[in-house]
Amino acid sequence: MKKLIHYSTIALGIISLISFIADYFIFAELRPKMINFEGISQNHDTLMLVVGIGLLIFLTFCVLSLLRIVQYLKKAKKITPIYSLWLTGSVLCLLFVFSDVALLQDIDKQYKLGLDQPEWSLVYPIMIFQFIAAIIFMVFHLFGFKKENQVEDVVKDSNIFLVAQYIGIICGLSGFILSGLGFFFPSAWNLYVHTIISSIVLLIPYALIVGYWLAIKLKEDISDWYDEKQIQDVGKSSFMTLAISVVFMICLFALNFNNLNGVVSMIWLPLYVFFVLTLFSFGNLYFSKKD
Amino acid sequence: MQKNDQQLTNNLRKYRFEHNEMTQQELANKVGVSRLTIHSIEKGKFAPSIFLALKIADIFKAKVEDIFYLIKNKKNI
Repeated sequence: MKKLIHYSTIALGIISLISFIADYFIFAELRPKMINFEGISQNHDTLMLVVGIGLLIFLTFCVLSLLRIVQYLKKAKKITPIYSLWLTGSVLCLLFVFSDVALLQDIDKQYKLGLDQPEWSLVYPIMIFQFIAAIIFMVFHLFGFKKENQVEDVVKDSNIFLVAQYIGIICGLSGFILSGLGFFFPSAWNLYVHTIISSIVLLIPYALIVGYWLAIKLKEDISDWYDEKQIQDVGKSSFMTLAISVVFMICLFALNFNNLNGVVSMIWLPLYVFFVLTLFSFGNLYFSKKD
Repeated sequence: MQKNDQQLTNNLRKYRFEHNEMTQQELANKVGVSRLTIHSIEKGKFAPSIFLALKIADIFKAKVEDIFYLIKNKKNI
Protein backbone atom coordinates (compact mmCIF):
# COMPACT_ATOMS: atom_id res chain seq x y z
CA MET A 1 0.00 0.00 0.00
CA LYS A 2 2.85 2.37 0.95
CA LYS A 3 4.60 1.68 -2.35
CA LEU A 4 1.38 2.26 -4.29
CA ILE A 5 0.92 5.67 -2.62
CA HIS A 6 4.61 6.48 -3.22
CA TYR A 7 4.46 5.68 -6.95
CA SER A 8 1.06 7.38 -7.35
CA THR A 9 2.49 10.51 -5.75
CA ILE A 10 5.47 10.49 -8.10
CA ALA A 11 3.16 9.98 -11.11
CA LEU A 12 0.94 12.86 -9.94
CA GLY A 13 4.08 15.01 -9.47
CA ILE A 14 5.27 14.32 -13.02
CA ILE A 15 1.81 15.12 -14.44
CA SER A 16 1.73 18.32 -12.34
CA LEU A 17 5.11 19.45 -13.68
CA ILE A 18 4.05 18.75 -17.26
CA SER A 19 0.75 20.57 -16.71
CA PHE A 20 2.58 23.66 -15.35
CA ILE A 21 4.71 23.75 -18.50
CA ALA A 22 1.55 23.31 -20.62
CA ASP A 23 -0.14 26.11 -18.62
CA TYR A 24 2.70 28.46 -19.57
CA PHE A 25 2.02 27.91 -23.29
CA ILE A 26 -1.77 28.03 -22.84
CA PHE A 27 -1.55 31.35 -20.99
CA ALA A 28 0.94 32.71 -23.53
CA GLU A 29 -1.74 32.18 -26.17
CA LEU A 30 -4.78 33.20 -24.13
CA ARG A 31 -3.46 36.21 -22.23
CA PRO A 32 -2.99 38.64 -25.16
CA LYS A 33 -6.40 37.69 -26.55
CA MET A 34 -8.15 38.24 -23.24
CA ILE A 35 -6.35 41.50 -22.51
CA ASN A 36 -7.31 42.83 -25.97
CA PHE A 37 -10.87 41.40 -25.61
CA GLU A 38 -10.54 39.28 -28.75
CA GLY A 39 -12.87 36.33 -29.28
CA ILE A 40 -11.98 33.00 -27.67
CA SER A 41 -12.77 29.80 -29.52
CA GLN A 42 -14.24 26.57 -28.18
CA ASN A 43 -10.71 25.08 -28.27
CA HIS A 44 -9.52 27.72 -25.83
CA ASP A 45 -12.30 26.81 -23.43
CA THR A 46 -11.09 23.20 -23.62
CA LEU A 47 -7.56 24.40 -22.86
CA MET A 48 -8.82 26.16 -19.72
CA LEU A 49 -10.40 22.88 -18.69
CA VAL A 50 -6.96 21.27 -19.07
CA VAL A 51 -5.54 23.98 -16.75
CA GLY A 52 -8.28 23.20 -14.22
CA ILE A 53 -7.63 19.45 -14.31
CA GLY A 54 -3.88 20.13 -13.98
CA LEU A 55 -4.52 22.19 -10.85
CA LEU A 56 -6.73 19.46 -9.40
CA ILE A 57 -3.93 16.92 -9.94
CA PHE A 58 -1.41 19.32 -8.38
CA LEU A 59 -3.73 19.79 -5.38
CA THR A 60 -3.82 16.01 -4.83
CA PHE A 61 -0.02 15.90 -5.20
CA CYS A 62 0.32 18.72 -2.61
CA VAL A 63 -1.94 16.97 -0.08
CA LEU A 64 -0.04 13.68 -0.46
CA SER A 65 3.33 15.48 -0.24
CA LEU A 66 2.26 17.39 2.85
CA LEU A 67 1.18 14.19 4.57
CA ARG A 68 4.50 12.60 3.60
CA ILE A 69 6.41 15.57 5.02
CA VAL A 70 4.44 15.36 8.27
CA GLN A 71 5.21 11.63 8.49
CA TYR A 72 8.89 12.39 7.86
CA LEU A 73 9.00 15.17 10.47
CA LYS A 74 7.27 12.88 12.93
CA LYS A 75 10.39 10.72 12.93
CA ALA A 76 12.91 13.58 12.86
CA LYS A 77 15.08 13.95 15.94
CA LYS A 78 14.32 17.66 16.18
CA ILE A 79 12.13 20.21 14.35
CA THR A 80 14.78 22.62 13.06
CA PRO A 81 14.08 26.07 11.49
CA ILE A 82 14.79 24.55 8.04
CA TYR A 83 12.04 21.98 8.65
CA SER A 84 9.68 24.77 9.77
CA LEU A 85 10.44 26.70 6.58
CA TRP A 86 9.90 23.59 4.49
CA LEU A 87 6.58 22.96 6.17
CA THR A 88 5.50 26.59 5.72
CA GLY A 89 6.35 26.47 2.01
CA SER A 90 4.37 23.26 1.59
CA VAL A 91 1.27 24.64 3.30
CA LEU A 92 1.45 27.87 1.26
CA CYS A 93 1.88 25.86 -1.93
CA LEU A 94 -1.30 23.94 -1.11
CA LEU A 95 -3.24 27.11 -0.30
CA PHE A 96 -2.05 28.83 -3.48
CA VAL A 97 -3.91 26.22 -5.58
CA PHE A 98 -7.12 27.85 -4.37
CA SER A 99 -5.68 31.29 -5.19
CA ASP A 100 -4.99 30.07 -8.75
CA VAL A 101 -8.59 28.96 -9.16
CA ALA A 102 -9.97 32.22 -7.72
CA LEU A 103 -7.67 34.37 -9.87
CA LEU A 104 -8.49 32.49 -13.07
CA GLN A 105 -12.21 32.72 -12.32
CA ASP A 106 -11.86 36.49 -11.74
CA ILE A 107 -9.94 36.87 -15.01
CA ASP A 108 -12.65 34.99 -16.90
CA LYS A 109 -15.42 37.04 -15.28
CA GLN A 110 -13.69 40.35 -15.98
CA TYR A 111 -12.95 39.37 -19.59
CA LYS A 112 -16.64 38.59 -20.16
CA LEU A 113 -17.62 41.95 -18.61
CA GLY A 114 -15.05 43.79 -20.74
CA LEU A 115 -12.94 44.85 -17.74
CA ASP A 116 -9.14 44.92 -17.23
CA GLN A 117 -7.54 41.79 -15.78
CA PRO A 118 -4.73 42.88 -13.42
CA GLU A 119 -4.84 39.38 -11.86
CA TRP A 120 -2.58 38.12 -14.67
CA SER A 121 0.37 39.71 -12.87
CA LEU A 122 -0.30 37.45 -9.86
CA VAL A 123 -0.98 34.21 -11.73
CA TYR A 124 2.57 33.89 -13.12
CA PRO A 125 4.57 34.42 -9.87
CA ILE A 126 2.27 32.06 -7.95
CA MET A 127 2.55 29.35 -10.58
CA ILE A 128 6.35 29.75 -10.77
CA PHE A 129 6.49 29.32 -6.98
CA GLN A 130 4.30 26.21 -7.26
CA PHE A 131 6.41 24.84 -10.12
CA ILE A 132 9.61 25.24 -8.06
CA ALA A 133 7.88 23.73 -5.02
CA ALA A 134 6.71 20.77 -7.15
CA ILE A 135 10.32 20.16 -8.27
CA ILE A 136 11.54 20.28 -4.64
CA PHE A 137 8.75 17.89 -3.59
CA MET A 138 9.74 15.53 -6.40
CA VAL A 139 13.41 15.59 -5.39
CA PHE A 140 12.40 14.67 -1.84
CA HIS A 141 10.01 11.96 -3.02
CA LEU A 142 12.73 10.44 -5.20
CA PHE A 143 15.80 10.86 -2.98
CA GLY A 144 15.14 12.79 0.25
CA PHE A 145 12.92 10.57 2.36
CA LYS A 146 15.16 7.50 2.37
CA LYS A 147 17.30 8.05 5.46
CA GLU A 148 14.85 8.55 8.25
CA ASN A 149 15.88 8.51 11.86
CA GLN A 150 13.94 5.89 13.73
CA VAL A 151 13.04 7.60 16.96
CA GLU A 152 10.80 6.52 19.77
CA ASP A 153 7.09 7.30 20.11
CA VAL A 154 7.58 10.14 22.61
CA VAL A 155 9.69 12.12 20.12
CA LYS A 156 7.19 11.43 17.34
CA ASP A 157 4.33 12.71 19.51
CA SER A 158 6.29 15.78 20.48
CA ASN A 159 7.11 16.52 16.81
CA ILE A 160 3.50 16.16 15.66
CA PHE A 161 2.47 18.51 18.48
CA LEU A 162 5.01 21.12 17.34
CA VAL A 163 4.17 20.70 13.63
CA ALA A 164 0.46 21.22 14.42
CA GLN A 165 1.32 24.49 16.17
CA TYR A 166 3.40 25.73 13.21
CA ILE A 167 0.57 24.94 10.78
CA GLY A 168 -1.93 26.57 13.17
CA ILE A 169 0.11 29.79 13.13
CA ILE A 170 0.43 29.82 9.31
CA CYS A 171 -3.28 29.12 8.71
CA GLY A 172 -4.46 31.36 11.55
CA LEU A 173 -2.34 34.32 10.51
CA SER A 174 -3.24 33.95 6.81
CA GLY A 175 -6.94 33.78 7.66
CA PHE A 176 -6.73 36.71 10.07
CA ILE A 177 -4.97 38.93 7.50
CA LEU A 178 -7.37 37.88 4.73
CA SER A 179 -10.43 38.52 6.92
CA GLY A 180 -8.98 41.87 8.05
CA LEU A 181 -8.74 42.97 4.40
CA GLY A 182 -12.54 43.27 4.50
CA PHE A 183 -12.14 46.56 6.39
CA PHE A 184 -9.97 48.00 3.61
CA PHE A 185 -12.00 46.75 0.63
CA PRO A 186 -15.57 46.69 1.95
CA SER A 187 -17.27 47.19 -1.44
CA ALA A 188 -15.45 44.19 -2.94
CA TRP A 189 -16.21 41.94 0.03
CA ASN A 190 -18.27 38.89 -0.79
CA LEU A 191 -19.81 36.94 2.08
CA TYR A 192 -19.84 33.63 0.21
CA VAL A 193 -16.40 33.75 -1.44
CA HIS A 194 -14.27 35.77 0.99
CA THR A 195 -15.81 34.74 4.27
CA ILE A 196 -17.12 31.19 3.89
CA ILE A 197 -15.06 29.58 1.10
CA SER A 198 -11.74 31.27 2.00
CA SER A 199 -12.12 30.37 5.67
CA ILE A 200 -12.84 26.73 4.88
CA VAL A 201 -9.88 26.56 2.49
CA LEU A 202 -7.50 28.14 5.00
CA LEU A 203 -8.58 25.71 7.70
CA ILE A 204 -7.93 22.63 5.52
CA PRO A 205 -4.18 22.21 6.33
CA TYR A 206 -4.87 22.65 10.06
CA ALA A 207 -7.79 20.20 9.91
CA LEU A 208 -5.51 17.71 8.12
CA ILE A 209 -2.77 17.85 10.76
CA VAL A 210 -5.20 17.82 13.70
CA GLY A 211 -7.04 14.90 12.07
CA TYR A 212 -3.74 13.07 11.68
CA TRP A 213 -2.81 13.80 15.31
CA LEU A 214 -6.24 12.62 16.48
CA ALA A 215 -5.95 9.43 14.42
CA ILE A 216 -2.74 8.61 16.30
CA LYS A 217 -4.05 9.68 19.70
CA LEU A 218 -7.38 7.87 19.53
CA LYS A 219 -5.44 4.62 19.92
CA GLU A 220 -4.17 5.83 23.30
CA ASP A 221 -5.85 6.47 26.61
CA ILE A 222 -7.05 10.10 26.87
CA SER A 223 -4.74 10.71 29.86
CA ASP A 224 -1.74 9.95 27.62
CA TRP A 225 -2.61 12.50 24.92
CA TYR A 226 -0.22 15.06 26.40
CA ASP A 227 2.63 14.75 28.86
CA GLU A 228 2.28 16.73 32.08
CA LYS A 229 4.28 19.75 30.97
CA GLN A 230 2.37 19.91 27.69
CA ILE A 231 -0.89 19.97 29.69
CA GLN A 232 0.48 22.89 31.69
CA ASP A 233 1.61 24.67 28.49
CA VAL A 234 -1.75 24.12 26.78
CA GLY A 235 -3.47 25.43 29.93
CA LYS A 236 -1.35 28.59 29.99
CA SER A 237 -1.89 29.07 26.27
CA SER A 238 -5.67 28.60 26.61
CA PHE A 239 -5.84 31.15 29.42
CA MET A 240 -3.79 33.65 27.42
CA THR A 241 -6.00 33.05 24.35
CA LEU A 242 -9.18 33.52 26.36
CA ALA A 243 -8.00 36.76 27.98
CA ILE A 244 -6.64 38.38 24.81
CA SER A 245 -9.49 37.25 22.54
CA VAL A 246 -12.12 38.69 24.92
CA VAL A 247 -10.31 42.05 24.92
CA PHE A 248 -9.93 41.85 21.14
CA MET A 249 -13.63 41.16 20.58
CA ILE A 250 -14.66 43.97 22.93
CA CYS A 251 -12.38 46.36 21.00
CA LEU A 252 -13.80 45.12 17.68
CA PHE A 253 -17.33 45.69 18.96
CA ALA A 254 -16.53 49.13 20.34
CA LEU A 255 -14.71 50.31 17.21
CA ASN A 256 -17.63 49.23 15.01
CA PHE A 257 -20.40 50.26 17.39
CA ASN A 258 -21.83 52.83 14.98
CA ASN A 259 -21.67 50.49 12.00
CA LEU A 260 -22.53 47.02 13.28
CA ASN A 261 -24.44 46.23 10.08
CA GLY A 262 -21.36 46.98 7.97
CA VAL A 263 -18.54 44.70 6.91
CA VAL A 264 -17.91 43.64 10.53
CA SER A 265 -21.19 41.71 10.46
CA MET A 266 -19.65 39.50 7.71
CA ILE A 267 -16.15 39.07 9.08
CA TRP A 268 -16.40 38.99 12.87
CA LEU A 269 -16.62 35.20 12.96
CA PRO A 270 -13.59 34.41 10.73
CA LEU A 271 -11.65 37.18 12.48
CA TYR A 272 -12.42 35.58 15.85
CA VAL A 273 -11.72 32.00 14.67
CA PHE A 274 -8.39 32.84 13.03
CA PHE A 275 -7.31 35.16 15.86
CA VAL A 276 -7.96 32.44 18.42
CA LEU A 277 -6.23 29.81 16.27
CA THR A 278 -3.12 32.00 15.84
CA LEU A 279 -2.93 32.93 19.51
CA PHE A 280 -3.50 29.40 20.76
CA SER A 281 -0.92 27.87 18.40
CA PHE A 282 1.60 30.62 19.11
CA GLY A 283 1.00 30.23 22.86
CA ASN A 284 1.54 26.47 22.75
CA LEU A 285 4.75 26.89 20.79
CA TYR A 286 6.00 29.73 22.99
CA PHE A 287 5.33 28.02 26.31
CA SER A 288 6.68 24.67 25.14
CA LYS A 289 9.96 26.28 24.00
CA LYS A 290 10.22 28.94 26.69
CA ASP A 291 11.29 26.98 29.77
CA MET B 1 -2.08 33.42 49.99
CA GLN B 2 1.14 32.71 51.89
CA LYS B 3 4.32 33.40 49.93
CA ASN B 4 6.31 30.32 49.06
CA ASP B 5 9.76 30.67 50.63
CA GLN B 6 11.07 27.38 49.24
CA GLN B 7 11.65 26.13 45.74
CA LEU B 8 12.11 22.73 44.20
CA THR B 9 15.47 21.96 42.68
CA ASN B 10 17.19 18.78 41.53
CA ASN B 11 20.34 16.84 40.68
CA LEU B 12 18.92 15.43 37.52
CA ARG B 13 21.76 16.59 35.30
CA LYS B 14 24.33 15.05 37.66
CA TYR B 15 22.43 11.75 37.73
CA ARG B 16 22.16 11.67 33.94
CA PHE B 17 25.91 12.14 33.54
CA GLU B 18 26.65 9.52 36.14
CA HIS B 19 24.55 7.05 34.13
CA ASN B 20 26.63 6.79 30.97
CA GLU B 21 26.01 10.45 30.12
CA MET B 22 22.38 9.72 29.39
CA THR B 23 20.86 12.41 27.15
CA GLN B 24 17.69 14.32 28.00
CA GLN B 25 16.00 12.58 25.07
CA GLU B 26 16.98 9.12 26.34
CA LEU B 27 15.63 9.90 29.78
CA ALA B 28 12.47 11.42 28.25
CA ASN B 29 11.88 8.25 26.22
CA LYS B 30 12.38 6.05 29.28
CA VAL B 31 9.83 7.91 31.40
CA GLY B 32 7.41 8.74 28.53
CA VAL B 33 7.56 12.53 28.38
CA SER B 34 8.98 15.01 25.86
CA ARG B 35 12.60 16.18 25.91
CA LEU B 36 11.39 19.72 26.63
CA THR B 37 9.73 18.47 29.82
CA ILE B 38 13.01 16.98 31.08
CA HIS B 39 14.82 20.17 30.08
CA SER B 40 12.31 22.29 32.03
CA ILE B 41 12.57 20.05 35.10
CA GLU B 42 16.37 20.32 35.07
CA LYS B 43 16.19 24.09 34.79
CA GLY B 44 13.81 24.15 37.77
CA LYS B 45 11.10 25.78 35.65
CA PHE B 46 8.68 22.89 35.93
CA ALA B 47 7.85 20.81 39.01
CA PRO B 48 7.13 17.21 38.00
CA SER B 49 4.23 15.24 39.44
CA ILE B 50 4.94 12.65 42.17
CA PHE B 51 4.30 9.96 39.58
CA LEU B 52 6.93 11.34 37.18
CA ALA B 53 9.43 12.00 39.99
CA LEU B 54 9.10 8.38 41.13
CA LYS B 55 9.57 7.12 37.58
CA ILE B 56 12.74 9.23 37.19
CA ALA B 57 14.08 8.03 40.54
CA ASP B 58 13.38 4.45 39.52
CA ILE B 59 15.43 4.87 36.32
CA PHE B 60 18.46 5.98 38.38
CA LYS B 61 17.76 3.47 41.17
CA ALA B 62 17.79 6.34 43.64
CA LYS B 63 15.41 7.85 46.19
CA VAL B 64 13.22 10.71 45.02
CA GLU B 65 14.62 13.01 47.71
CA ASP B 66 18.18 12.34 46.50
CA ILE B 67 17.26 13.75 43.11
CA PHE B 68 14.66 16.35 44.06
CA TYR B 69 14.99 18.61 47.11
CA LEU B 70 13.86 21.96 48.46
CA ILE B 71 16.04 25.04 48.87
CA LYS B 72 15.33 28.52 50.20
CA ASN B 73 13.73 30.66 47.53
CA LYS B 74 16.37 33.26 46.59
CA LYS B 75 13.73 35.80 45.55
CA ASN B 76 12.29 35.87 49.08
CA ILE B 77 15.60 36.13 50.95
